[in-house]
Amino acid sequence: MAPAPERGTDPHRDLIHAVEHAAHLLPSQGPIGVFIHHNTLHAFQSHPFESAVLEASTLFNAQPFLSEAAYQAALASGRILAEDIRHVVHQEPDAVLLPGGLTRRQLHERILTTGVRSVPSPLLPWHLEEGDWLQRFRGDLPQESVLALTLSNDSPRTLWELAVRWTPKATPAEPASWRRPAEAIRASRGVDLDAVVHPLLIRLTSAYLDQGVSYWPMPDRDRGFLKAVAQVLSQPGLPDPVGLTGLRRRFLTLASENLSAPEVLHQAITELGIHPGDSADLITAELLALPGWAGMVRQLEEHPELAPHVRLRCSLLEFVAVRLVITGVATRNVLGGANAWRSIPPITRQTTDLSAQAAVFDALQVLGVGTESLRSLPPKSIGLLVQEILSFGELERRRLLHLAYERRHERLVLLPLRHHLRGSLPAHPGERLSAQFIFCIDDREESIRRALEETDPSVDTYGAAGFFGCAIDYIGIDDAGAVSLCPVVVKPAHAVGEAPVSGHDDLHERRRRLRRVWSSWTRSSRISSGTLFRGFASTLLLGALSLFPLVLRILSPLAHARLIRWLNARFLPEPRTELRFMRDDSESKEATQSLFQGFTTTEMADRVAGVLGPAGLRTGHARLVIVLGHGSTSLNNPHESAYDCGACGGRTGGPNARLFARMANHPEVRSKLADRGIRIPDDTWFIGGYHDTCSDDIDLFDLENLPLSHRGDLARVRETLDRARALSALERTRRFQAAHGISEPATALRHVQGRSEHLGEPRPEYGHSTNAVAFVGRRETTRGLFLDRRAFLISYDKDVDPEGRSLAAILGAVVPVCGGINLEYYFSTVDNERYGCGTKLPHNVTGLLGVMNGMQGDLRTGLTWQMVEIHEPVRILFIVENTPERALATFRANPLLWELLENRWIRLATVDAASGEIRMYRGEGRFEAVDGSEVDLPIVRSSSEYHLNRMDHLPIVRIQPREPQCA
Amino acid sequence: MSLPILVAILLPGLLFLGLSLLWLLGLVPGERGIARSSKGVALLSWILFSIETIPILRPLAAPLRLDYGDWFASGHAHFGLSLSVDPESLPMLWLAALLTGLVASFSVRYLHRDRGFLRFFSLLNLFTFGAYLVAAAGSLDVLTVGWELVGITSVLLIGFFQLRPEPVHNAARVFAYYRIADVFLIASVLLSHLWFGTARLDALSSGEVLSKGLDGTGRIHWIALFLILAACGKSSIGPFFGWLPRAMEGPTPSSAIFYGAISVHLGAFLLLRVQPLLLASGPATLLLIVLGAGSAFLGTLLHRSSCDAKTSLSYATQSQIGLIFVEIGLGWVWIPMLHIVGHSIVRTAQFLRAPSMLHDHHHVHAAAGGRLTPTGGHLEALFPRGLQIWLYRIAIDGGVYDTLLNRFLLRPIVAVARSLAVLEPSAPAVSGASSGNRSTPEHQP
Repeated sequence: MAPAPERGTDPHRDLIHAVEHAAHLLPSQGPIGVFIHHNTLHAFQSHPFESAVLEASTLFNAQPFLSEAAYQAALASGRILAEDIRHVVHQEPDAVLLPGGLTRRQLHERILTTGVRSVPSPLLPWHLEEGDWLQRFRGDLPQESVLALTLSNDSPRTLWELAVRWTPKATPAEPASWRRPAEAIRASRGVDLDAVVHPLLIRLTSAYLDQGVSYWPMPDRDRGFLKAVAQVLSQPGLPDPVGLTGLRRRFLTLASENLSAPEVLHQAITELGIHPGDSADLITAELLALPGWAGMVRQLEEHPELAPHVRLRCSLLEFVAVRLVITGVATRNVLGGANAWRSIPPITRQTTDLSAQAAVFDALQVLGVGTESLRSLPPKSIGLLVQEILSFGELERRRLLHLAYERRHERLVLLPLRHHLRGSLPAHPGERLSAQFIFCIDDREESIRRALEETDPSVDTYGAAGFFGCAIDYIGIDDAGAVSLCPVVVKPAHAVGEAPVSGHDDLHERRRRLRRVWSSWTRSSRISSGTLFRGFASTLLLGALSLFPLVLRILSPLAHARLIRWLNARFLPEPRTELRFMRDDSESKEATQSLFQGFTTTEMADRVAGVLGPAGLRTGHARLVIVLGHGSTSLNNPHESAYDCGACGGRTGGPNARLFARMANHPEVRSKLADRGIRIPDDTWFIGGYHDTCSDDIDLFDLENLPLSHRGDLARVRETLDRARALSALERTRRFQAAHGISEPATALRHVQGRSEHLGEPRPEYGHSTNAVAFVGRRETTRGLFLDRRAFLISYDKDVDPEGRSLAAILGAVVPVCGGINLEYYFSTVDNERYGCGTKLPHNVTGLLGVMNGMQGDLRTGLTWQMVEIHEPVRILFIVENTPERALATFRANPLLWELLENRWIRLATVDAASGEIRMYRGEGRFEAVDGSEVDLPIVRSSSEYHLNRMDHLPIVRIQPREPQCA
Repeated sequence: MSLPILVAILLPGLLFLGLSLLWLLGLVPGERGIARSSKGVALLSWILFSIETIPILRPLAAPLRLDYGDWFASGHAHFGLSLSVDPESLPMLWLAALLTGLVASFSVRYLHRDRGFLRFFSLLNLFTFGAYLVAAAGSLDVLTVGWELVGITSVLLIGFFQLRPEPVHNAARVFAYYRIADVFLIASVLLSHLWFGTARLDALSSGEVLSKGLDGTGRIHWIALFLILAACGKSSIGPFFGWLPRAMEGPTPSSAIFYGAISVHLGAFLLLRVQPLLLASGPATLLLIVLGAGSAFLGTLLHRSSCDAKTSLSYATQSQIGLIFVEIGLGWVWIPMLHIVGHSIVRTAQFLRAPSMLHDHHHVHAAAGGRLTPTGGHLEALFPRGLQIWLYRIAIDGGVYDTLLNRFLLRPIVAVARSLAVLEPSAPAVSGASSGNRSTPEHQP
């Protein structure tokens, strides 16, 4: 196929445009090996959140919020309070409904706090005829009614009859015309066209995109999807699949006509009886019928470099063309002609008035409007009341309940913070700190930071985006190729490699050779077990050999891991390595990739200053500063990358931390930093490390280079770290049902290590689940608060940033990242089947690209049920430690941030640590002071005392190890 | 000596009954209780089988026949409850206990917090009981009971995720294959009783029966043919080819134990039990070899083009089972037995690792320095290019097997059913396609 001609000169401009338009609505998740969290409804980001989720829910047939029952349960458990509902209802426009004084707000508030009796409409007749709906009123009505009328002497049956009389007859909705053949055929013939088209299309698409699962790749993939498919499907002498008679002939014609993809699409659409100019709806509907695969084609078309192993020519247009050609054949099979579906008359949906009548009946009871009062009211008022009741539908109720749910969250976070700031902040020890730790901002690091501070009050912790300012293209000695370690929006300009130190080259060479042998043994035994003759030999003769590792692996994952470690230590040489990151002149770019090899000292100083400066780490550093990147190791987890560091583009941040430490230790860099006001004491040493958030293992790098004078400090730091990671593991285990009863930190640590090694563990860790807050400010402001691993903590010191430049840089980086994570969790939670990928138990890895259910399903995008089952879907609350004016100006200056904020995809509050004043952003440039005293701030002795044996979300408390002083 | 074996065989069945009873009484046991009892039962059975295996493997030890009288008798046909513990059945019992125990341990974590936890373990125990019965059966009568238990648990676990249409649809389809194959097994049981007066496995292999069956009447050919067809159904071979990938809708551990290990090999095991009878019939032997070889070839062809973890594994399994059928047809005993054991273990391990495929592939790829040797150059290179693409077309459509079946068998049946529905105005419309309607998402607990 010739490449698509330029736009404008193209006769198929409309078609191409229609495909482009539909493409925006497809999930934008790339191959799953690198998982980037993003707003699932990115395509709707330019609309306000509350209307966008509704719009999307219609388009994708998905849920916009949690179910009403879930919010009602939250109301019952005290997670939502009546005052939240009142507050939310009072933000909405009001109207007087009954002259007696009933207003719309009262109506809404009453219905929401009491809850509607919602029953699926097919069950209504049962409740009316067999159930007790007409015998007695609801038993859960509030004592006092709005109109001060009681139902005690009233008859439910009479009220029902009145409700029926006053409820207007529903006018049948104008039948919508069919968007695609499958809809018309399902409705008129009872045949599921997708069940005919999808298996074949999925098989072809997955075979085409396959990155190395199949032994025998699809022939001639380099000619593009359309040609490759046409060649395969036009093979002679074989029966066409059922429901697709004529498929071969159709593709044979295609193959011989040698048309371009737009021409094929044009032909297919015309055949289906649609004018190419009006094809947008058809194309959108057809693509959204199988969004996962279509989205993957689109991703690989736009970003071919995302393909993990085989770069392919992908084109969504070709995919649509093939899809519509097959659909045309299938339609002709059912109806006799490909365009015959156009003449099937749209079917008017049968509407029943029963559910509307029941809603009115229910609302009248909730309001306490009995038969007497109904009879006494003027008809006009009743008509108005009924109309109001009917217009307060389920989606509207859920929207308001969600706002109440978020309001309570906001109060549960901000009021304790205010309390905390008004009390005495923990005094900063006057002497020099024993160590400083720089972590990623990740919410999962909150517990280990708190544990460190609890273990040793004289350490400080900081949070910076986990690539630590070093956007690099990195290749380690064990890696297959270079990968970008930085946020996805950044394109690294510098390459850094790991290399054996001099004298260790032969060790490295031996290591490489051994690993090659292991690799080819593993691979060939895997391949051979699938083929015929080699498989005979290997399963017959060697099969029993795999018994021992299997038994060990399953019965004791940790013992297996120890065995593997021992084998590696015993036989696999481990050369000492160093990072190659120095560059002398600023010009030497690697010709092929146009990357700079390493950094000049100025560039290094820029990066170090970019992290230390905004965080307020300018002077008086401790003797040891530990910089920890993070990632996560687990098995049975195609989504493994989703647990890695988002700031490193879904990869692990160890190399960045290592590099950062090496840069910060460099004398020339230090002198350059001193010129910028960052004075690092000569006896301060930076150490890079890596924290595995699943097993809570921590590795520190380049310890050979540590000056002898610092060995003692290191031993102390190690001890503190070991204690803290065990405490953090203990805190994590409180969420795992399987770890119930563990109270010893060491046991908890073994437990989480076992999770990371278990072949069948669907919840190696909970990832970002429960994330809800991002705090941008000094750690002193939040130190001592138990934030329950639910807050991203970004270190930012406003005192050293009078112009707000650092704030702009920090928010510009963290708002999209944290917002994307939060929104992906939000949508995967509210509709786990549509926006998420459902339970992971039936997932099947396909083409090394993604997962599908069973053997022929759509590619599933989003997060698994096991990742979000404990998540509380609220929009992330950014708390910025600066003035409202500064925060607002910073958001305004960045179009992306402004879009997120002004359309309310994120929430924003500012805090003034000195006065404890907190202001919440309410839209349109308006901030509102947060006060109130319904939430207090209890004081507990230690985190573990507070969280032990409690599984649910815990309110914020203050950790104060010593006797509480006057608070 | 007979008691431990009997206890070991009955244990999982009793556990199934216990769990079901508790469920019926509304006393749903906790995950921990279910897990411990299932693992405990598997371990105990395995220990008992291991103890028994040692003496019986001594070459001169006589096989142990356990007779527990008649199940029921009809006329002069006696349906006996008899077990046979011998060097063929013991390794199978031992393997079944070992692998179900491993899979149970694996599943405790895998299915943690799933709402079907109890259902899964109940079915797993019932399946184990069925598999023991098949392995230890001394007569075709007892074997049939185990065979049916294995079949029904297999189907219920394929449809484990009841809320989605595809698993239920595929489970129903596999159920249909099983039932058709079962007809052949039951027919062979009845015919054995009718013609030879017994369905005891030792009697069916005895010279007396064989000479009687070959007595110019062709009776032995019929029984051999039916047994082969029954075995084909269970092992997805020959006329029943191609249902194995459909069975991948269930949770991974059940895919492993059923379609990687025990259930799918039971067909081959049945043939091994009646091997003398099969070999006595020349046509049946030939058929067995042809079906086995054909399925092995088709299996490997489809495996080569499969691009998802589970389908790829299921076709790989299929090709090796085809080979095992050939081995049995060639009159070998120990090679197919070893092949069954080795193959079951390998596939269990591979199925359980299937969700870790990305992780594993990443490591192998990195260790190879980013350069993996390309595949697809062995068998394929023997064929001219045109033929290769033609074969690929066959592979893309699952061996064209389902297409032929749907086109020439199912469609006529559905058409007849539809036309008959006219006579019955109130009958719901017959629809051949599964519903694509999505139900509203239901959150799992």
